[in-house]
Amino acid sequence: MNRVFSLLLILLPVLILIIYGKILLTSQEDVTAVYDPKPIPQFQLLTLQGQEILPTEFDGISLLNVWASWCITCLVEHPFLTKLSQNNINLIGLNYKDSKSNAQQWLKKRGDPYKFSIHDPRGDLAFDLGVTGAPETFLVANQEIIGHIQGELNQEKWESIFVPLIRSIEAQNP
Amino acid sequence: MLVEIAHFLTVTSAVILLLILFLNVFFSFAKPHANQIVLSNKLFNQACFLIFISFGLYVYLAAIDDFSITYIANHSNSQLPVFYKITSIWSAHEGSMFLWIVFLTLWSVLFVNFLSLAHPLKKGTLLMLTLIILGFLLFLLVTSNPFDRILPFAAGEGADINPVLQDPALAIHPPMLYLGYVGFVISFSFITAYLFYGDFNYPWEKDIQTWSLVAWIFLTIGITLGSWWAYYELGWGGYWFWDPVENVALMPWLAATAFMHSLFASSKSGVLKTWTLFLGIMIFTLSLFGAFIVRSGIIDSVHSFANDPQRGMYLLGFSGFITIIALAVLAYRLPQLQSSKLIVAGSKESFLSMNNILMLTAIFSIFLGVTYPLILESLNGNKVSIGPPYYNTIFSPLILITSIFMMASIDGLWQRGMQLRKLYISIAPTLFVSGLGVYGIWHFTQIFSILAYVGILSGLLIIVSYSLKTVSALRDKTYLNKGSLLAHVGLGLLFFSISMNSILSYQKNINLFVGGEQVINSKIPQFQFADLQKIKASNHDVISATIFLIHDDKPIYLNPEKRKYFARGQITSETAIHASFLKDTYLTIGDQLEDGSWTFSLQINYFVKWIWFSSALMAAGIAMTIFKKKI
Repeated sequence: MNRVFSLLLILLPVLILIIYGKILLTSQEDVTAVYDPKPIPQFQLLTLQGQEILPTEFDGISLLNVWASWCITCLVEHPFLTKLSQNNINLIGLNYKDSKSNAQQWLKKRGDPYKFSIHDPRGDLAFDLGVTGAPETFLVANQEIIGHIQGELNQEKWESIFVPLIRSIEAQNP
Repeated sequence: MLVEIAHFLTVTSAVILLLILFLNVFFSFAKPHANQIVLSNKLFNQACFLIFISFGLYVYLAAIDDFSITYIANHSNSQLPVFYKITSIWSAHEGSMFLWIVFLTLWSVLFVNFLSLAHPLKKGTLLMLTLIILGFLLFLLVTSNPFDRILPFAAGEGADINPVLQDPALAIHPPMLYLGYVGFVISFSFITAYLFYGDFNYPWEKDIQTWSLVAWIFLTIGITLGSWWAYYELGWGGYWFWDPVENVALMPWLAATAFMHSLFASSKSGVLKTWTLFLGIMIFTLSLFGAFIVRSGIIDSVHSFANDPQRGMYLLGFSGFITIIALAVLAYRLPQLQSSKLIVAGSKESFLSMNNILMLTAIFSIFLGVTYPLILESLNGNKVSIGPPYYNTIFSPLILITSIFMMASIDGLWQRGMQLRKLYISIAPTLFVSGLGVYGIWHFTQIFSILAYVGILSGLLIIVSYSLKTVSALRDKTYLNKGSLLAHVGLGLLFFSISMNSILSYQKNINLFVGGEQVINSKIPQFQFADLQKIKASNHDVISATIFLIHDDKPIYLNPEKRKYFARGQITSETAIHASFLKDTYLTIGDQLEDGSWTFSLQINYFVKWIWFSSALMAAGIAMTIFKKKI
């Protein structure tokens, strides 16, 4: 028993050192996730305003952005999302593990870039989508998810990941 | 010229420290000589003294606006009051690292000279401290030199300190926090020396008890000040954001709290020895981990400094090096450390050891919360926030179980078990009163939130059990540990206030023209935007609004401000707060809209002051314990 503890006392810190060393070294790199298209999961949720959501809302090209009022990175990407919505990008919010009043206050205070936000207080839809935290953004084309970004959506990721996907979709359906 | 002298002094200090290490390595091959420790001690004192002089010179240079020094030119300004010229030293990486090292040196030199020459652990402690100071001094000189000059021409004017940092609470928050963080270098070095020494009958606990308690007080005050500053300066209305940097401050605090308790148990009854040694090492390790997180640039936060990976690598490498030295000796000595005494179930130390496990769980959960997004980011370059839902969900059950053990241990005895029947009798009234309290709050507020009520119940359990204990001690004229009473009631009050704050507080956004007024709700029937003034101050422009409002039949005037600082062009918002016994009326002014009206954010925050008060109570309780021991 003592042997095990002794070994752990040394191995655990070494492991943590290696992990953090790797994090430091790779913190500059950026890897794009490949995504297989799949349909949006079925869900029974309402918008923050309490309205029902039709599947036709996801026709054409739209972005589904997972956000929450407690999420600091969401605040960071908010100006960029606002810019996207001003450029007529169909932006739909998925309000994740949040209270309705906090979410509404947040939108009121910062501005609402979303066409509407789906209220998902327990993270049901988010779970089905495979969300690991906020923020995350899904690219949806004709009710099918074709792209996925975890973390902050910014100009760089938008251009390097989502724009090529949108171009290829537009090339298929002229 | 002065800055070169200051630079030279720190280099000399590093050389002396290196000399101490060489001397002792050299002498370890020769016959031991009594003068060896005397000489090392003298050299050590001199090295420390040089660092203090160097820092003193640096403070002077900052005060007289020597903008030929890159760091001062980048972080200070001639328009600043002298107080902020000095505090600007710790507003960014290089200077704050310098301050950190000064405190490290201060604690070290005090402790080394506190140990008598004949003390068996003096040499080991001194060498460990020498190694640590040297490591960080080299880090400062090699990767983050605060003495660099702008050559050949000095800057005409400084770039100014970040305006949100021009605040008294923030000026003293880093020094307090650093004093707490690095204070635990003492337990770290002393324990390492003890483990190397190898005579485990030596009663080491008494030598560092007071030192650890003092460091704990600084850490507590430092964290509280940071939280207080965030509340009234950032204007978000919150006091704790589970920001990674807050988390890395909380981890050493939890470890230090567990350590304090284990140290009592270890010195009173000789149990929990391995726990105590382990925790004593971990506090400083976690502090170093915090320094690494803040200074390596792997996270984005209010606190993070601009930085380069070289610094991160050095910090990680050096912290890892000294931590592994300490843990390796601990691992090596583990078989010899087996205490002959077993922990009796139901005794005070059995509850303490349960709470140690809970605190370690809490530390690990926070560690996971900090690390997981970083791992994810390094794997696929993506950022996620792990926010309050994660921490609230994890912490509320932990807090409840901790409170139950705390309540049970209150009548516990050292080394003797408690009969279950007696335990029931002692906790039944507490359970009843606390349950009643929770029901009362629910009945009164009609708000339900499981997490918040778990917190309220935990708080009440602690407060009620200690109150009942006080009453019975006063009645029977039995012994009452007043310091412990105060500290624990403080903790109970902290749980209670945080939970009450979370269910009662609310926010309203208001949009008004000058002269306009509005009804907010039944408690605030009038909210009037009376006046708006533009004022010029020494280094910023001010837009000051005058608001008249009636809250709970009381007339209140509030003056929220917006400031624009000349040097950086940064705009900050100064919150206006009216505090009453239970709640704060907290008002910030936002932007002017296109139609000329102004936006306000009105927050009614309940029990916020109580949170600071509870922290102060905890610190006061521990201070009382220290003074009582002295007398």
